[in-house]
Amino acid sequence: MSASSNRKTVQGVTLCADPAREPCFRVAQLDNEMQKFENGMSEDARRERLHRHMNNEMGALEIAAQCLADFPESPWDLRMQLARQAFDESRHVHGLHQRLRQLGGYKGEFPIGNFEWAVTNMCDTLAARLAIQNRTFEAGQMDLLGSLRQIWRSVGDERTAEVLEHILADEINHVRFANQWIRKLVQADRRLLLKVASAVRFLADTNSALAGETSANSGETSAEQHKKLGINVEDRRHADFSDDEINEILRQAGMSSLASAGAPA
Amino acid sequence: MGLILREKAEHLATFRWLEVFLMETLARWVPTTPEMEVKVLMGRHIWDAAQHADALGKRTFELRAPMHYTLAPLPLHLSTMNELASVEDTTGRLQSVYDVILPGLAARYQQYLQNSDSLLDEPSFRVIEGILNDYARMRKESEEVRAELRETLVFDPERAERWSRQESAISDFVVQGSGATLAREASA
Repeated sequence: MSASSNRKTVQGVTLCADPAREPCFRVAQLDNEMQKFENGMSEDARRERLHRHMNNEMGALEIAAQCLADFPESPWDLRMQLARQAFDESRHVHGLHQRLRQLGGYKGEFPIGNFEWAVTNMCDTLAARLAIQNRTFEAGQMDLLGSLRQIWRSVGDERTAEVLEHILADEINHVRFANQWIRKLVQADRRLLLKVASAVRFLADTNSALAGETSANSGETSAEQHKKLGINVEDRRHADFSDDEINEILRQAGMSSLASAGAPA
Repeated sequence: MGLILREKAEHLATFRWLEVFLMETLARWVPTTPEMEVKVLMGRHIWDAAQHADALGKRTFELRAPMHYTLAPLPLHLSTMNELASVEDTTGRLQSVYDVILPGLAARYQQYLQNSDSLLDEPSFRVIEGILNDYARMRKESEEVRAELRETLVFDPERAERWSRQESAISDFVVQGSGATLAREASA
């Protein structure tokens, strides 16, 4: 049986059951089970950020791998991209774990959440999974990383900033291939558009139903993060988002004035 | 006696099937294996197996077979591969891939090189030599992970030896007479 076919229920919402984790990890289902810090860049908070990010990258690895396992008939070139993504995400986990240990942390030090895995694997088409994981979650991470590396630099942690910079470069490629392949797949089969739209709706509904569960993985809802940290317009362009799409994202993030003025270069 | 052109295409197509199988097996195991370091190891090697399959698939086309021509191995080898891919525990999975499948495949690649022509079939040699180098690195990386997790993972060497004997006892693994080159000629 495929790992993506197992189910769990969180506050009445049916989601994909968690992937395997070592006993040292405490898996949070809700936001209030996560550890929070008043000073977001205190030593403990920094380790928690790295720990949370490490688990998110582990989830991204698992999602890419599960796509390879669940969709053996998809085009070979797309499978190559997913295999490459699995390699990239593996290196991200390794790099973040290494950095976590350098800062005195260890795996299992803080609670983790598997929201992205739980939502993405509810989709039964590859196009929809790419739309949720790569085009939404990873693109959101691209926005965060655009600002976060500067925040780490501002507290004198050049090494972590460098790690995040390299992760960002890889994520752009993952978002780009997803954007390009979703277009190709939808062009070949228009019915997939409905699947993609349903997946996006499911994500929005799940976010509303769990109201804060997203924070179990990222600290805040993506809309809040976007408002605070901004949209990484330049990298979204690199990732093959059109100007219209970027303007729409700016509008949704409450940056209508930027959107109406045209996305900044 | 050396392999004829069609047999070379069939061998490479079978190797391609095995590399895709390896890629899919590792992919299936990543979410269901608890240890983070092992997930990372497998995630890295998914990409290695994909690149091997890609290079072999391009080479089959050069040997007058279809692009990314892929042939499942003979039933006995196929069932052994399926058995090795059905292991549930982490130590068994590591042994299955790094102590049995990779060394077994390496031996079959070596056998191919011995039965082919290093000049006329040099592109295949380059692909296979690259794969063999990767296998050595992949096995070294698995040893590093095992050393890192030595306090939590307990290995049963007898099990790996038993599987290895079972795998190496199978000599023929390639389906012969597939009509690979003819298929391409007919579609041209």
